[in-house]
Amino acid sequence: MAARDVLNSIKKRFDGVIQRVDVPADNRLYLYVQPEMIKEVCRYVFRDLDARYVISIGIDDRQQSNRFIVAHDFSFDRENVLASIMVQVPASQPRVECISDVVPAANWAEREMRDLLGIESIGCPNPKRLILPDGWPEGVHPLRKDVPWNHVPSNFDENKEYNFDEVPEGCTVVPFGPFHPTLDEPAHFRLYVEGEIIRGCEYRGFMVHRGIEKLADSVLTYNEIPMLAERICGICGCVHSVAYIQAVEQAAGIKPTPRAEFIRTIMLELERLHSHPLWVGLASHILGFDTLFMQSWRIREPIMWIAEKLTGNRKTYSLCVVGGVRWDITTELKKELQGVLDTLEKEWVKVANAVKGDRNIKARTKGVGIADKKLVKDAGLVGPLARASGVPIDCRRDLPYAAYDRVDFDVIVEDGCDVWSRLIVRVMEVFESIRIIHQCLEKMPEGPIQLPINDELPPGRIGLSSVEAPRGESHHFVITGENNRPDRWRVRAPTYQNLQGIPAMIKDQQLADMTISLGSIDPCFSCTDRMEIVDIRSRKIRVYSQEELLQLVRQRNG
Amino acid sequence: MQLNISAIILGAINVVLALGLAPLFEGILRKITARIQSRQGPPLLQPYFDLLKLLGKEDIESGHSPRMQRFAALLSLATVLTVAVQIPMGGQAPLGGQSDVILLIYLLTLSGISTLLAALAAGSTYSLVGMSREMMAMMTLEPLLAVAIVIGAVHTGTLRLDQVLNGAVYTSGMFPVAGLIILGIILFALQAFVGRMPFDTAEAETEIMEGPMIEYSGPKLALFKYARMVKLFLYTALFVALFVPWGQTGFYPLDVIIFLVKVTVLVLLVTLIAATHARYRIDQAIRYYAGLFGLALVALVFAVSGF
Repeated sequence: MAARDVLNSIKKRFDGVIQRVDVPADNRLYLYVQPEMIKEVCRYVFRDLDARYVISIGIDDRQQSNRFIVAHDFSFDRENVLASIMVQVPASQPRVECISDVVPAANWAEREMRDLLGIESIGCPNPKRLILPDGWPEGVHPLRKDVPWNHVPSNFDENKEYNFDEVPEGCTVVPFGPFHPTLDEPAHFRLYVEGEIIRGCEYRGFMVHRGIEKLADSVLTYNEIPMLAERICGICGCVHSVAYIQAVEQAAGIKPTPRAEFIRTIMLELERLHSHPLWVGLASHILGFDTLFMQSWRIREPIMWIAEKLTGNRKTYSLCVVGGVRWDITTELKKELQGVLDTLEKEWVKVANAVKGDRNIKARTKGVGIADKKLVKDAGLVGPLARASGVPIDCRRDLPYAAYDRVDFDVIVEDGCDVWSRLIVRVMEVFESIRIIHQCLEKMPEGPIQLPINDELPPGRIGLSSVEAPRGESHHFVITGENNRPDRWRVRAPTYQNLQGIPAMIKDQQLADMTISLGSIDPCFSCTDRMEIVDIRSRKIRVYSQEELLQLVRQRNG
Repeated sequence: MQLNISAIILGAINVVLALGLAPLFEGILRKITARIQSRQGPPLLQPYFDLLKLLGKEDIESGHSPRMQRFAALLSLATVLTVAVQIPMGGQAPLGGQSDVILLIYLLTLSGISTLLAALAAGSTYSLVGMSREMMAMMTLEPLLAVAIVIGAVHTGTLRLDQVLNGAVYTSGMFPVAGLIILGIILFALQAFVGRMPFDTAEAETEIMEGPMIEYSGPKLALFKYARMVKLFLYTALFVALFVPWGQTGFYPLDVIIFLVKVTVLVLLVTLIAATHARYRIDQAIRYYAGLFGLALVALVFAVSGF
């Protein structure tokens, strides 16, 4: 048993330190360790056992045990094991030893824990706020169970400006975002630039944090959450929906029906098939190569149409329920899907050849946005980003889920560590996805698509699930709870880790390479906080504030 | 020499041609680009509508120095129109010996300077980055055109526009080595002169948000856009005058049509290259220009040696 082997090697080193162990399956391992030893255990797991850092999760368990819980998730990709190393923290003094000096990738997660749950990390190297805006009062932590989901503190100052770091000497500031033609979300990079060379940057993001996790553990139910989960991302919605449902199923010990597993696999790959061409198009646009942008999106469009035929929607598939899926793939649709895939394959061969032979694209992407193996390890980078740096990780193979253990495919790996390699990895992965779907359509067994679930799901169980999204591993952590909803649900999208690698990737590069280095994020200008109304008759100009606008909207809806 | 009426009329016709047809060529460029990209594309006349719409918008004062901003926009269109008066479009160079190639080179540089002024007026970081890029490009690009004109001047022994802009680069009396080299160079640099892909580094929407144009809107933006369209028309016209002036019948209206056909072919070439190339980074672009400049010097050496 793989999980046992991992456990034994940890036990050998830290025998008296482990308080409790749970091995629910041979690919999952949960262990509680003594709080004062957490850093040492993490160092051993991350450095000596060479596990990949996934995410850290803070949990408010005060109602059950009068404690907070902090979980650090690691993935043993070679041993095919997902592990969660946990400590209990007293409610009166929620402090835990910081691990980000041994595991640099944990920095964001620890800052998030402090913002949202008030769990301090002792010795955190960069204790700035990450998620809460600077105007949010101290001491109010939205993810705590005693804070209602719609609570806004009365002393919240929404107009307070960010408190930025000092600019290094000799550098000027180039503000990148929150609004920029190639930036798809309102995120802000404050670039320190010397001439045209970037010397450093400060990142402020989370400007449209929507409180999805809070909604899930206080308002929605198990089978409602997939609908919300697939709206987390504008591209890989299905990934989140499947990852969530798998985490719940794993926690509750439910195995979905085989046909459902195949349908999930098909939809996940279909999603990759519309995501990669979309990315290739956006990347070309950033490089000013609009012809490839247009062609790539034209080729992508039939995928959206077949998805609409299969699911009723271009991108929100409403696929998952606990124990199965909500709809089936009929024989006619199967045939049509095969036809669409054949056309796609033919056209994508042309795109692949065009990209590989293009000297300008090569000149703009070779040696740009370097992420070496050390950075991949330290920042916990995932997906095509890691695979383009010669790190062969792919959850579909390493932590198999759905029907991936029953299909044959290659993990595309390049070793240029640059944007060019990432481009090649994504272009070639399209062919693998087509292969996977063809195999699924052939091998898909007949049978029910849902499992009857007659009982309540048992509370207090932990579930971990990793799904390989087009951009990398999406990791979901669930603790089941009362009232037909999870007690805690933590989503870690691949960009959460990949963004942490950006400062190192753009350092000492040209300003012109910034956009393509950042290139894999997607567009949405969503936070318009004020607008102007001009009354033509009186020629008066009126500016509405955010509050007034909100009031107007609520009046109309109410 | 006396400036006569026919010169004034010819010059005026040139300005009308440039103003009237530049948006049409832009429209052709956009339509063909769209077709290459499997798109429907805008109607051919869309650039006219765009300009009209922008001209009708509110004139907003913004940026670091609104007055300079306005001046830069006016200067940019005024310069290209002054250039239009001087280069032959079908007939002779309208001003004949009244203007010379030095003035022409200065005016072309001035149109670049109007972009620099625009960037300064905006005062934003992005516009300043665009300005430094434009400046670097200007310093390496302008000499190319100067060399082409000087080669013509060397061969003809005069700086008169009407003689130099008449295929003078080939008139060495021997096999025109210098002329052919410079023809190749200008052909390769044409894309950069008109600021299209892969050389639109100074504006680069996806990198520095149009750089110098960042604070422009409404009528002032219209002037700049207009100037940019006229530039496409003028540089192709200049190319025709410098390198392919042949095929004139002496009957003016027919000559104008022949001239326009040549311009159209060049615009199609520009379109094709723009649609099939990704943008160069500024350092890559400068290296490219520098290579061309090296070659241009070789051509110049040939020219002064009588080839």
